[in-house]
Amino acid sequence: MTLLGRRAAAPGTRGRGWTESWRRVALCGILGTLGPVGALGCRGKASTPPAGASSDPVRGSGLSPTGGDTKTKKSTVDDPREVPVILLRGGRVMTAAGEIFETGDVLLKDGAIAAVGGSIEAPAGATVLDVAGKTITPGIIDTHSHMGVYSSPGFRAHSDGNEAVAPNTAYARSVDGYWPQDPQLERARAGGVTTAQILPGSANLIGGRSFVVRLIPWARSAEDARFEGAPEGLKMACGENPKRVYGEKSGPQTRMGNVHGYRDAFQKAVEYRRSWAKYEKAKKKADADRKKGISPSSGGGKEEASADPPARDFGLETLVKVLDGEILVHNHCYRADEMSLMLDLAATYGFKIRSFHHAVEAYKIADRLAEADTAASVWADWWGFKAEAFDGIRENAALLEAAGARAIIHSDSAIGIQRLNQEAGKAMYAGRSAGLEISENQALRWITYNPAWALGVEERTGTLEVGKLADVVVWSHSPFSVYAAAEQVYIAGELVYERGSHEPRSDFELGFREGDIGGDAEGVAP
Amino acid sequence: MSSLRDRARHRRRDLLRGLGCVGLVGLAGLTGAAPAAAAPPAGRRRSASATGPTLALIGAEIHVGDGTVIKDGTVILRGERITAVGDASLLGSLAADASRVDLKGKLLTPGLIAADSHLGLVEIGMEPGTRDDSGGEGPIRASYDAASAIRARSSLIQVQAIEGVTSAAVAPSGGLLSGQVAWVDLAHGDDGALPTRPRIAVGGSLGQVIDGSRAATLAQLRRVIDDARLYRKQRGAHERRQLRDLAAHPRDLEALFPALDRKVPLTLRAQGESDIVAALELAREEKLRIVIIGGTEAWRVRERLAEASVPVILQPSENLPGSLDRLGARLDNAALLDAAGVEVGIAVLGEAHNLRNATQEAGIAVANGLPYERAITGMSLTIARAYGLEADYGTISAGKIANLVTWGGDPLELEHFAVQVYVRGAAIPMVSRQTLLRERYRDLEAIRRRGR
Repeated sequence: MTLLGRRAAAPGTRGRGWTESWRRVALCGILGTLGPVGALGCRGKASTPPAGASSDPVRGSGLSPTGGDTKTKKSTVDDPREVPVILLRGGRVMTAAGEIFETGDVLLKDGAIAAVGGSIEAPAGATVLDVAGKTITPGIIDTHSHMGVYSSPGFRAHSDGNEAVAPNTAYARSVDGYWPQDPQLERARAGGVTTAQILPGSANLIGGRSFVVRLIPWARSAEDARFEGAPEGLKMACGENPKRVYGEKSGPQTRMGNVHGYRDAFQKAVEYRRSWAKYEKAKKKADADRKKGISPSSGGGKEEASADPPARDFGLETLVKVLDGEILVHNHCYRADEMSLMLDLAATYGFKIRSFHHAVEAYKIADRLAEADTAASVWADWWGFKAEAFDGIRENAALLEAAGARAIIHSDSAIGIQRLNQEAGKAMYAGRSAGLEISENQALRWITYNPAWALGVEERTGTLEVGKLADVVVWSHSPFSVYAAAEQVYIAGELVYERGSHEPRSDFELGFREGDIGGDAEGVAP
Repeated sequence: MSSLRDRARHRRRDLLRGLGCVGLVGLAGLTGAAPAAAAPPAGRRRSASATGPTLALIGAEIHVGDGTVIKDGTVILRGERITAVGDASLLGSLAADASRVDLKGKLLTPGLIAADSHLGLVEIGMEPGTRDDSGGEGPIRASYDAASAIRARSSLIQVQAIEGVTSAAVAPSGGLLSGQVAWVDLAHGDDGALPTRPRIAVGGSLGQVIDGSRAATLAQLRRVIDDARLYRKQRGAHERRQLRDLAAHPRDLEALFPALDRKVPLTLRAQGESDIVAALELAREEKLRIVIIGGTEAWRVRERLAEASVPVILQPSENLPGSLDRLGARLDNAALLDAAGVEVGIAVLGEAHNLRNATQEAGIAVANGLPYERAITGMSLTIARAYGLEADYGTISAGKIANLVTWGGDPLELEHFAVQVYVRGAAIPMVSRQTLLRERYRDLEAIRRRGR
């Protein structure tokens, strides 16, 4: 049952008219991305490309026009980013910024949250949606996904997440392996997920760069989906996986070898950075000398030689960006002792670990994680599938929160990502059951603001605050209920999912469902 | 109702006779005795008798497990069995020395039953030395007996038990016929006693098991069944070496006899529509009792499943098109099957560490259209019935083994946890390795002071 379904079932009521007009508006908003819509009865407007101002929250949202040169478009084509102004009225508004309005409104305008509060006047032309009895939250954010690089079906051909040819593949980038037609993506979207980090796998000590995606439908390339402006991440892995994968090959064979691998890589990065600095310095000097009229040759051959740039190394370049704080480290690491060790190692080389991932023993070092300001992306209850995961407990996130550390509930699973809200609920209630005081706002931040912070996009999304991207979910129940379903999902103000009536499907799934071939199944036409 | 139970008892007596079990006392099937097992679980052996102290659970909303709900109900336990279920009037005849537990405002359900689990067979997933859930290389391992491999002292048992799982069907995996399924009650205490009933079903898998081919897999299964019948008829000829080569070792063929006699079910893991149809055809032709485990695309053949009275035990959250067998995966599989009249069991399948999440899975099924009481039934009675043990398990009914759970509220809701779990009439300690870890690290300040 969806909002639309229920309302449509009551003909003659105010709801019906509302439904129809809303459906049309919603379709227009979505179809607007694809081409002429006049035939569908959408009010055609002149194309207005997105504002160029950098303050525009929509820029860099992954929703900018794609598909090439706007000059080739006909004037009848609506602006892809022309979405209706929507006022969600009368729901329980959980902002994830501290405030919860038991009955409140959220105004979505120009891709951003224009207002949040107890009662907002509808601007002229706004579509007002009565969401009484529903809960409104920010879009859910997952710090740990392999969607698109380990796609479904699990074909051999879809295995694009681990470049397991060497323990350090810092040069690899998940963006280059990402398949935007992975059917897992739309299921995650149906679970209220609007943003996710796509990580390389954990076979390698240093697996490569991650990137952050917006779960928009109709992405035809990884770049279409990319959360523009979000920093890249670096996937590192501790413990069992690298030594299992390489133990009988080149090594590492042990945790000793693992740590040597990290140190060796970062030491080389330090030296690589130094050689570039040296080159830049020499180049600067040579340029200055040239300006002063000093002939380069008169200075001897030495400076001449150092004026050649060092050979570019994409892997080391990645690690230098880590040292410089441009790339955020995401470290797969389960055990408390190993996480402690990695914090020390990072401190030695002067970089930060933004988040540990899986971190089933994070509760044992919650104090240290709080001090280091390193987040822990954990599961609600997965444990025991390997030795380093044997000490998992249900209260991991709650104990982190209680110690002032930054807890995140992540999925690492295309099933789990569909209900991160429930996983956060389980972790919250487990904490409460153990006598820890965890508020709904805190638990909601485990899947919204905190992951946004870990991905470096906390100023753009992760809470319902004015000026942020209108990434919004309307839930049927409390998001912490097992019965909760996302009824509507908005990304930058655009309705990208509505339960039962607008559930975009990937190219891959076309033709396999009942009615696809002989009938008029929903979701086939865009 | 009583005739149903009588039938079930007869069947079970037959079953026990058929298995040649020794050491089973009356109704007390679960004695821990595992004939032919190399190492039966150590510890105290108990019979599930209705003698011993009496306990009255009073005032709870009782979800019986068969769809009925008793408000302000009373349950009387004696020893390891339930002796009476009803309203407060039962208290009139209660002995003065009986213990009473006030459960006003709480819910009472049957203990949850895990289906097709690896509980006790695996401690740490990726440590081969801690796993014993798969026997041998060949596809036919029907004589592999899970009961002989179960570790009664597994830390996983209590982790599941304190969240309401009171029984588990423990099944080996791998191959086409993986082996004999055992039933355990999660009565794990410090004495290591784990009441176990061996060989309650034969477990197997369809799909691309043999040479990556569904057809080859089905052909092999039919050959094995043929040869089991042949061997049974002409064992002498086989021993005189006057019989053609058999498709499997005689031990493995022998292990199929109870399934061929319909005394135990053949539980088949099958996901795709074509495999489920093939299983139904096989069951009809060979007159087998089958249970479909997984059943990702079962909804597509729900009418045929209903007609054949074949239950499906599924995991409702499985909605990914992970392979061509699963392109039809959908969240309302359970609801569609139920509406068509198929008995739907709900469990976390092929797993051991988080069997406890059956309640969440059931909630997901309800959120996607399964009627609420069906979800409770799906975690208890349906599974007991699928394995042929409904005489003893699956509902809160007089005469059944006293596996019960009290909850603070709706057990499917993430908010509510088991308050107290009773296994075979005893309130279990609500402690696990996980709760001990939690308490050890609750106060990091104290650890800091002692350490660094």
